[in-house]
Formats: sequence, C-alpha cells, structure tokens
Amino acid sequence: MSQYKIIFTGPVGAGKTTAINSISDVPPIKTDASASDMTKFRKASTTVAMDYGIMNLPGGEKLHLYGTPGQERFDFMWDILVTGGIGLVLLLDNTRADPFQDMRFFLDTFDKFIADTTVAIGVTQMDLSGKPTIDDYHIQLLGMGLKPPVFAVDARVKNDVSLLIQALLYSLDPGLEE
Amino acid sequence: MDKNKNPLKVALHGMDGRSYKMMSMYLQGPCKGVAIVVNENNAECDIFDADVVNGQKLLAEYLEKESQRPIIVLSLNDNKLANVLAIKKPVKTDDMLAAIAKARQLFYDKTKNVASQAAPLTGQQADKAADSIHVQPESPKLKKYVNTDEQNKTSKHQAAMQLNEKGFGAFIGSLTGIDVNDPKQFAKAHYNPKEYFQGYVDSAFKVSRSKGQIRQLNSGWNPLIIFPQSDEVWLDVDESQLRAFAGLAITNTLGSKMSITPLGPEASAAERALERFYSMDGFIWKVACWASKGRYPISIDITQPVYLKNWPNFTRLLVTPHALRIAALLIQGPRTLSNVAEVLNIKPQYVFVFISAASALGLAGQVKREADVLVQSPEIKPNKNQGLLSRILSVLRGKKA
Repeated sequence: MSQYKIIFTGPVGAGKTTAINSISDVPPIKTDASASDMTKFRKASTTVAMDYGIMNLPGGEKLHLYGTPGQERFDFMWDILVTGGIGLVLLLDNTRADPFQDMRFFLDTFDKFIADTTVAIGVTQMDLSGKPTIDDYHIQLLGMGLKPPVFAVDARVKNDVSLLIQALLYSLDPGLEE
Repeated sequence: MDKNKNPLKVALHGMDGRSYKMMSMYLQGPCKGVAIVVNENNAECDIFDADVVNGQKLLAEYLEKESQRPIIVLSLNDNKLANVLAIKKPVKTDDMLAAIAKARQLFYDKTKNVASQAAPLTGQQADKAADSIHVQPESPKLKKYVNTDEQNKTSKHQAAMQLNEKGFGAFIGSLTGIDVNDPKQFAKAHYNPKEYFQGYVDSAFKVSRSKGQIRQLNSGWNPLIIFPQSDEVWLDVDESQLRAFAGLAITNTLGSKMSITPLGPEASAAERALERFYSMDGFIWKVACWASKGRYPISIDITQPVYLKNWPNFTRLLVTPHALRIAALLIQGPRTLSNVAEVLNIKPQYVFVFISAASALGLAGQVKREADVLVQSPEIKPNKNQGLLSRILSVLRGKKA
C-alpha cells in the first residue's frame, strides 16, 4: 500500500509539533524522546529527527504526518521526506524577526514539491504579534506569483489546523465533495 | 566521501537538544569520518547556529575571546563575518565537507601540525570554503510584546465556526417570497448592503480608517466602536441580537438615526470587556452573511464572472457551507456565480452568501476587463488521489465512516 503523507514545515517554534499533535490519532513521536542512543540511528539517521503522527482513515488506511526539523535545514533529508507527500503545510511564527524571510526560504526550498502538489500557509502567534498581517503575507506571495491559502492559526486548536489542511486538499481539487 | 582516521573534533554551540542531536547524526551520517562532536574543552573547531535566539550574541561573545580554533557558522543569511567559515542553510553536504576540510587545515596550521593529519582538500572545495568567508552582519532584533490583553480577546482570536448545509438556514436565516436557488429567479436574488447594518458598518470602517481615528457608529441601538489601528471593533451585544439586527433592512426605520462620531481620548481609553472585541474583518464578514441570507450583493452582475483576490482568512471567519471549495475554485480564475454552483454541484445560495461576505472584505469583485471575460476559466481536473483526499476530508470534518 502506498504511504501518503502531509509534510509540516517551518522554522523552530512555529508549532509543527503542536499542529501534528492536534490532529494525530496517536501521540506524536518526538525525536527528543528517543534519540539519546545514537547507535540506534546509524541506519535510520535520516528519518528520526522529525515529528511524526498518524491520522487513521476509513478503511484502515493511514495518513502520515511528518514535521521537518526546524533549524537544521538539511536538504538531503527533505528530499527523502517529501517523497510520497500529497501537500505541504508551512507554518510561520509571526513573532520571528523576519517571517517573510522564513516564508521565502521554505517556499524556495520546497519549490519543486509545491509545484507538483500544493501548499497551505498557517501563521502562528498572531495573538502575540499582529504584524505582519495576513494581507501583508498575500502581498509578498503575489510578488512570488503564488496565491495559496494563508490562515491565522493557533496550532493547539484542532479546528484551525483542520481548516488549513482542508484548504490544502481543496486547493488540490476543488471538486472534492464535503 | 572524505574519510579520516582522525576526524576533526567539533563543539556545537547555540543549538537546542534536538538540533544538537540532529547535527551529531548528520556528522555521523553524510559527514561520517570527517568530524565528530565532542565537548567544548576537547574541540578543535566550533560550529555555531547563528539563527537561533541569541545565536548572534553567543557568536559575538565567542569571537571576542579570540579563540585559536576555527569557527563554522550555519545561517540562513549571507553571513559576512570575519575569520569564520560560513555555510548557508540549507546545509549541503559538499559545503559542510569543504568547510570542515578548511577548518582542519586552519587548525593544524595554527598548531604547526599540518602535514601529518590534515585531510586533503580538493581545489574546488577549498575555493568554495574560501568564498564563504565573509564579514559580520547585524544581529537580528527580536520583537517586543507589550499588549498582554490581546490574548484575552477571545472573540477576536477564536477558531472559526464551520457551518454545514443543515446548520445554514438556522444560523443565517431564511427568506420568504423568493427561491434564490431557482435559476429563473437569479436576477432578483440580490440584496443591497446599504440598506442593512452591513452598509453602515462598511461606511464607518472606511471613515475610521481614512481618518485613522477611533470612531463610534451610533444606530439608536448599542454603539459600535471602531479601532482602526488594531483592526478591531467592540460591541456589547450577544451574537443572537447582532444576527437579528444585521438581518433587517434598516434604512427606512433607523437610517436617520445612524451617525459616525469621533471618540474622545477619555472614552477611547475606557476599560472594555475584552471578550467583546472582534476583528473588523471577522465582524463585517459575519454581518454580511446575515444580511445576505443566501443572496448576492446588488453590485454584482449575475451574468458576468467574479474574481477572488486571495483566500479569505477562514480560521477567523464564519465558514459557510462549501466556502473552502468555492474559494479554491475561484482562486484559479474568474467564473460566474452560477458556473461556480454548477461546477461544484452545490446550491447557488452557498455561492451567493460567500460572494457577499468576500465582497464585503474587498476580496471578491466583478471582472471589468473584456479580456478576462473572454478567457475561459480552466476546467477542473479530478486529482489522481481524489478518493484518498475525500477520506481525509471526512475525518477532518468529523464524519468518520
């Protein structure tokens, strides 16, 4: 059976782990908890340093939810990670010094994957920092020739994360029926 | 890959636990045999992550110590630090190997022990590493937060309500005397926002924003206070009262009582219940839905295509039935409202209410250029994983089979 994944990416602190936790049917596996014995990871060292959750689908299928490591931007890992991915969720922390730089970085890094699939952007921590606004993000994105969904997101709130993923799915196919 | 019996001993700085482990594994994997992580006292080279909070400060302090060890700096920015080997993220293995090789050479040059232990450095790698030595950038400034009340504005930041078809009528209200879903009656299925609270709110927002002043919309009902700087409004009524009021055509009854007045400094600064603050966008979106009741704004020509400028911020707006699908379709290109309903196989009232709300925010409008009308919107092709995507949706919407 094929492995279907949604990839969560973004800088450290943007809420990737929390977002996966919000919609995963199992407690997310965190690398912090299991990577203490380095000898275990000689073979699997390219797949452990990320968050992982599962969404159980009707019929016994599973959707795998992967969070990329935030700060260690190792391109070789990302190539492996996106294989089989159906779309990208980019979470941006609005309290960072330059969230637009983060956005451009991740969109550039995943540009091929986005071109093959699609992206939805969640902006977190907007209750702490209201600027830039969602409109500001759209202006930046328009300059890059992109019109993806951009939502304010509280990664702890399942409904926020759910709406973001729904928008991702409808971007792939507006004809999907509710 | 470069292998060496004496890998360069590196110390990692400015990395949290996860990043530290990740880097350690990276050096054991793609960079195996070239470098190994050790504690700071035994290190021959230091690797800094400059992008973490305090990363630049940590690095600056370290540079002040004038350590004899070479330093490798990982950063998203084009670092221009003197006397460091900069690697731009995402870290590429070739760049890392080149920098480690250069660091090894620098270390052994300094300790007068080059020839016996230094790893060979290819010409290309050396050039690459040399090219990446730059000068120091400014430290990034973190934002400061002063408004702790903001988090308590629960109505403003609360998650959106997602209506389904069953809940639509009860929440939005119904119309008598017209069937907006009957194509023969489409021409009459419009409403004039100016006759409703929506129109007055819209005017008040425009005045308040253009003047940059806190303004109060007086209606003979509870006043609406508008704070343009923070894009929020304050209204002390329950949602059910607001819904009823917003659904009434009030021009003939309350129109003469409507006024917009500036609010003095004392009144502006008065303490207010935080849970009664709403975002301006969320407020007018909802008010427009209640005024529309499934009709489209009179400014829209039903026979002409409409466009959607960008996706609405749905997590902070009332999500009417099929709104996400409608947005996803319209973002691809302009279409007439009836075409949207036809392509998505939904009742036109859901398209009309969406367009009413999106128009109220200035996100949707009528295509004006003839060229836009001539260009046919692309046909939507079913995704190859449509079955899977539908199953994911059913779980997300709480309809597990």
